Amino acid sequence: MEKPVTKKTGFRRWSDGGISSYLMLAPFLLLFLMWSVYPVIASLRLSFMRYNAICDPQQAPCGSVGLGNYTTLLFHDPRFIKALTNTSLYVVGAVILGMLASLSLALALQEDTKSNRILRVIFFLPTVTSGIAIVMVWGWVFRGDGVGLLNAIVAKFGVNPIEWLATPSFAIPILIFMSIWGGAGFGMILFLAGLNSIPAMYYEAAVIDGAGPRERFRYITLPLLRPVMVYVLITGIIGAFQIFEGVYLLFPTSVGSIGGLKDMALMLVPYLYDMGFNRFRMGYASAIAWILFFIIFVISYINIKATKSLEDLR
Amino acid sequence: MSTTNPDIEHVAKSESFGGFTNPFEKKGKYYKLRRLPIYLLTVVMLAPYYWMVTSSFKGVKELQEVPPTIFPKKPILGNYYDSKFDPTTYQQDVVQGLFQRFPKVQFGLWRFFFNSVFVDVAITSLTLFIGSMAAFVVAKHKLKGKRGIYLVIIGSMMIPWQVGLIPNFLLVHNLGWLNTYWAYIIPALPKAFIVFFFVQYLSSIPDELIEAARIDGAKEFVIYFRIVLPLMKPAMIAMMILTAIGEWNNFLWPLIITNSESMANLPVAIALLKNSGAGNIGTQGPLMAIALLVSLPTIILYFLTQKHFVRGIALSGLK
Repeated sequence: MEKPVTKKTGFRRWSDGGISSYLMLAPFLLLFLMWSVYPVIASLRLSFMRYNAICDPQQAPCGSVGLGNYTTLLFHDPRFIKALTNTSLYVVGAVILGMLASLSLALALQEDTKSNRILRVIFFLPTVTSGIAIVMVWGWVFRGDGVGLLNAIVAKFGVNPIEWLATPSFAIPILIFMSIWGGAGFGMILFLAGLNSIPAMYYEAAVIDGAGPRERFRYITLPLLRPVMVYVLITGIIGAFQIFEGVYLLFPTSVGSIGGLKDMALMLVPYLYDMGFNRFRMGYASAIAWILFFIIFVISYINIKATKSLEDLR
Repeated sequence: MSTTNPDIEHVAKSESFGGFTNPFEKKGKYYKLRRLPIYLLTVVMLAPYYWMVTSSFKGVKELQEVPPTIFPKKPILGNYYDSKFDPTTYQQDVVQGLFQRFPKVQFGLWRFFFNSVFVDVAITSLTLFIGSMAAFVVAKHKLKGKRGIYLVIIGSMMIPWQVGLIPNFLLVHNLGWLNTYWAYIIPALPKAFIVFFFVQYLSSIPDELIEAARIDGAKEFVIYFRIVLPLMKPAMIAMMILTAIGEWNNFLWPLIITNSESMANLPVAIALLKNSGAGNIGTQGPLMAIALLVSLPTIILYFLTQKHFVRGIALSGLK
């Protein structure tokens, strides 16, 4: 006997859910295409143009400049180079110290005791607190006059009030400190989840083989934490490259732009904002955005490749 | 080696936290002493919050004292609302309270509260709704081309959102949406991470549950509402909290799309207040007051939902 062949018609040919599959996917997909995919493509196109949001894109003074924005940024724009070096220094400091802080906190607070649970909550609080609200308090802590909190502390040691936010060499360390204070608890939670997923029997076996705490940490904990470490590292780098709020509110300049005295705290995203929304150089700002993307992409790629090859080695 | 090795016992006893042993483990007589740095760090962590709370209750005179006072000598509410304040006359020690600021904005500070709450509720509910529907289709429907679509969604998470910032602004500008709630809400709805998270979560749910309903003739929308949504509850709660807190604290996008004061959200209102006072000591008290009021809702939400919240973050990091 032959099986009855049910011929699929209409939308059933492409999907077992019929048209409802498409109806359910459509709201997200259409919004995603309009507000996530199209802007990325448009921004690439803008990055080869001069554009100020009002002019006709085809006519002077707007129009295509080829690679002009990129060559100007990389070779003729000292402010951009300053923003790039500042951001790099900041990212290196914030990510390395931040990872060390997160891992130490996770190890120190891993045991599930009542006091540790309370401590974890305290260290995690900045993650849920409005960044702007906290920046306001930091602004007070680092005030230049005697009213400032940090100056009140150094005054105890006989030091005169210091203009913390107007001393170029302090700018990046202060921003790194703010980043660790605000981010260590988030990394801690990820590391805690990683630590708790390591099976206890590995440690038991190691103890039977005579491994001490140090060996167990070196040869069990660290290797098994590597996936979490890579995740924390990559998300940390991506997040650090996008620093904005602290620079915007703590380091204004007298001429109404961003970056502080001598651009000591100028970073990539604040510079992008300054170019795009203070000066309406939209094409130029898009080129900054693409350089930012390129840097983040290369670093993430190297990270993933490096961990892969490290794993292949063992 | 004997089986009564104290180390083994220690590991076995500590099974509740994964049998972990680490450099900080509870051993030796200096354990308490080694914990001291942690407690000192706690002070550093809490100091800004303490400062925020206490300063918001200090008078303008006390705020100028050198060295600063640790406990407010005479707590006052003037930084929030000072009935003695009169915009036409200058009085010593009287500041314009937080709720008396922004005179050009109808309802003053309350307007910003409304903006923040309304936008946050709208984005969170809509983004979870459309995200979970899309994830259901991607995870549980056989669909031509869905693999490619999902790849683009995941790939977009690699791109920093600032890359699309300027075209997003231009879109909003050309649609005439500047200073409207549309500009807040619509561009924030498609969140790739939420779809990714839900797809991960749904792939751990057996297909049989959905197949069975389908055989019974249930429509896909009915399956979504009756079967998928209830199953997704834990993932939904985790993402709901993350999205709600993220949107509450959002700053850069609202800053760009609003130039009329009345459409600001709370973080932008903080910046407006700060820039209006530019270091003037009379603004510092109200600034601490608004910082406290903006921080409190998310902190309270976090305390109420702590378990879900931490689980959501941990899950997102491990997958």
